[in-house]
Amino acid sequence: MEDWRRIDIDAFDPESGRLTAQDLIPPYVQQTDPQAVQQQISQLKSFATSGDINSALQLATSDPPYGADDSTKALYFRAVLETLTQVRQADIANVVKQLQPQQQDVLIKYLYRGMSIPEGQRQGGILLAWFEKLTQVAGVQPVMHYLTDRRTV
Amino acid sequence: MSQSLRPYLTAVRYSLEAALTLSNFSSQEVERHNRPEVEVPNTSAELLLQPIHISRNENEQVLIESSVNSVRVSIKVKQADEIEQILVHKFTRFLEQRAESFYILRRSPMPGFSISFLITNKHTETMKTGKLVDFIIEFMEEVDKEISEMKLFLNARARFVAEAYLDQFVY
Amino acid sequence: MLHLQPQNILIQKTLSEAFDALNKGTSLTLDRIISDFDYTTFHVSNSPEDKSILLLSIRTKAWQSVQKCQGSIGLLDYLQSKYQGCSGAAISPQPEMGYDLTLQITLSQLTGESLVQLSLLKTIVLSYPFQLAFDEFAQLSSTPVPVEGTPPVSNTLHTVQYRDEESLFIKPASDRITVIFETSFQDETDKIFGKVFLQEFVDARKRNRSIQSAPQVLFSHEPPLELQHQIQPRSDPSKRFVTFVLFPRHFQTQELQFNSVAQLILFRNYFHYHIKCSKAYMHSRMRFRVDSFIKVLNRAKVDEEDDSKGDSSVHAQPTRRTITGRKMVY
Repeated sequence: MEDWRRIDIDAFDPESGRLTAQDLIPPYVQQTDPQAVQQQISQLKSFATSGDINSALQLATSDPPYGADDSTKALYFRAVLETLTQVRQADIANVVKQLQPQQQDVLIKYLYRGMSIPEGQRQGGILLAWFEKLTQVAGVQPVMHYLTDRRTV
Repeated sequence: MSQSLRPYLTAVRYSLEAALTLSNFSSQEVERHNRPEVEVPNTSAELLLQPIHISRNENEQVLIESSVNSVRVSIKVKQADEIEQILVHKFTRFLEQRAESFYILRRSPMPGFSISFLITNKHTETMKTGKLVDFIIEFMEEVDKEISEMKLFLNARARFVAEAYLDQFVY
Repeated sequence: MLHLQPQNILIQKTLSEAFDALNKGTSLTLDRIISDFDYTTFHVSNSPEDKSILLLSIRTKAWQSVQKCQGSIGLLDYLQSKYQGCSGAAISPQPEMGYDLTLQITLSQLTGESLVQLSLLKTIVLSYPFQLAFDEFAQLSSTPVPVEGTPPVSNTLHTVQYRDEESLFIKPASDRITVIFETSFQDETDKIFGKVFLQEFVDARKRNRSIQSAPQVLFSHEPPLELQHQIQPRSDPSKRFVTFVLFPRHFQTQELQFNSVAQLILFRNYFHYHIKCSKAYMHSRMRFRVDSFIKVLNRAKVDEEDDSKGDSSVHAQPTRRTITGRKMVY
C-alpha cells in the first residue's frame, strides 16, 4: 500500500500558493517561433564556419530563444556549443571584451548549461577557459544574474 | 597546480561566492519551522535559484544548488579506476561519519556525487563566508591529492611486501 | 613485523613456562586452547595421571585432505619420523576427543630444540604433501629421459583444503614442482587491494634483479592447466589462482625444503595480513586528514573575542544574553 502519510496534500490544493518553475517565467518572454530559431541556427553555423566568432557570439548572446520549447532549445544550444568550442584559447579574452553586460549574462547561461550535459562536460576544459575570461572581465556579477534569472537557454 | 585545475577551481570559487548570499527565512508552509529550503521536497519554486553545474570533465563535477536560505554543494571526485573508486568511497564515508564536527557536511551525498555539503544561513552567520569558500576549494584540492597519494602508497607497499616475501626464496 | 613466523609463539611460550615451573618444583596445571591461522586449534593440557606430562593436540581444517594424499609414506609414519629425534615428545596412539592428533610431551626430557619442533606442529602437518611431492620429484628426475620422447609425467595432484573456500594444490613434475593457491575474497575492498598485491607478486621477480632466483609467480582468473581436470573452469567466477613454480634450487636440501614449505604455507596469511595492515594505515591517515580539514574549517568561524570587543567594527552589536546567560540568536 502506498505510504499515505507521505502524500503531499498541498500539491492538491489550488489555493496553496505554491509556484512552479513555469509560473516564474516573466510574462514578457514571448513564445519563440521554431522557424525563426532554425534560421538563427543556420546563421550561427555560417558565422562559425567562416571563422567570424565575434559576430557568431554577438548573435547568440543578443537574442537567445528563451521562449522556445525544450527540444528547440537543445538544438540551438548544440550550435552555440559548437561555436564556443571552436574558438582558440588565445582569442577568448578578446571576444569576451566585445560583449555588453546583458550579453555576458547570456553567455554564462550557455556555459553553465554546457557543463550540465554530457556533450559539454567532455569539453569542460574549454568552457572553463571561457568562464575564467568572463569572470576576469565582469567579476561575480554574471553569476549572480544567472542564479536569479528565471529565463533559461 | 595543473593547467586545467586552476580554471575549474576559479569557477567554483566565483559560483560559490555568488551563491553564498543567504538570509534567514521561515518556512512558508509550516508555522514555526525554519528549514533549509533546498532540502525540502516540493518546495515552492520561487525559493530555489538556478542550479549551477561546473565540470572539468565527466568525472570531476560540482553541482551548486541554492535557495533563499541554504546552499547544497555536491562534489564528484575523480575516480579513474576501481582502486580510486574504493578509496574515494572509503574516504568520503569516513568524513561523513564525522559530519557533526564538520558542521556543513551532509551525511549522505546527492546521488551521482561523492560528497555533499549543506550550508545554511546559520553557518554564514557564524562563519566567514570567504573562509567557507576557501575551505571547499582546499577540500577539493586536497581530496584529489590524498586519493592519489593513498593509491601510490598502496602500490608501493604491495611491491615491497611482494619483494620481501620472494626474497626469502633466494638462497 | 614484516614476516610471519612459521612456529606458533604461544605454544612455545606455554611449553617453556611449564618447563620452567616444573624445574622449580611447582608444576603448572594447564588447560589452554590456542588458535592459529586457517581454523587451526591447539589444546595444551595436563595428562590426567601425571602432571609432568603434557598433551598437545591439534585440530586443523586441512587434516582431512592431508590424510587423503597418497604417497610412499603414510601421514602418521611421516609425523612419527619427524618427531622421532625430538626428545620428550611422542605421538600418542589415541588422539584426544575432537582433535586430529595428540602429542605426549614429557616435560622433564624437553630440550630447546624439541620445543621449537613442537611449536612447528601445524607447519609439519601441512608439509606432508610437500614432502610427497619432493619424493616424487626425486624419483621422476632420476628416471632417465628417453632419447626421443617426452619426459616422464606424473599424474599426482595433491590437494590440501585448508579453508572452506580455498585450497592449495601441489603438482610434481620432472623438472619443477608447481604449487597453486586458489583464493577468493569476501570483502569488496580486500578484493581490489588483493588484486594490487597479487599483481605485484607477479611483477616483483621481473623488476628486481636480486630476486630473479625466487620462484616464478603467475596469477590467473581461470584455473591453470594443471587443475583443469580437477576444477570445472569458471565454476566460481570470484576465484583467483596464484601459481608458484618451484625449481630444484628451491628444494635441494632438507633445510631449503623446510624453508620453502614454511613460507608457502604462510603465503595466504602473509598476504592477507598485509592487506589488513594497509587498511589500518589508510585509516590512521584518513583520521589525520580529517583533523587537518577541521582545522581549515575552524578558521572560518567568527571569533567569540571579536564579537565581544566590537569596538573597531561599526556594525558589531553587543552580544545580548538572556537572563540565564544564554546567547540570543536572531
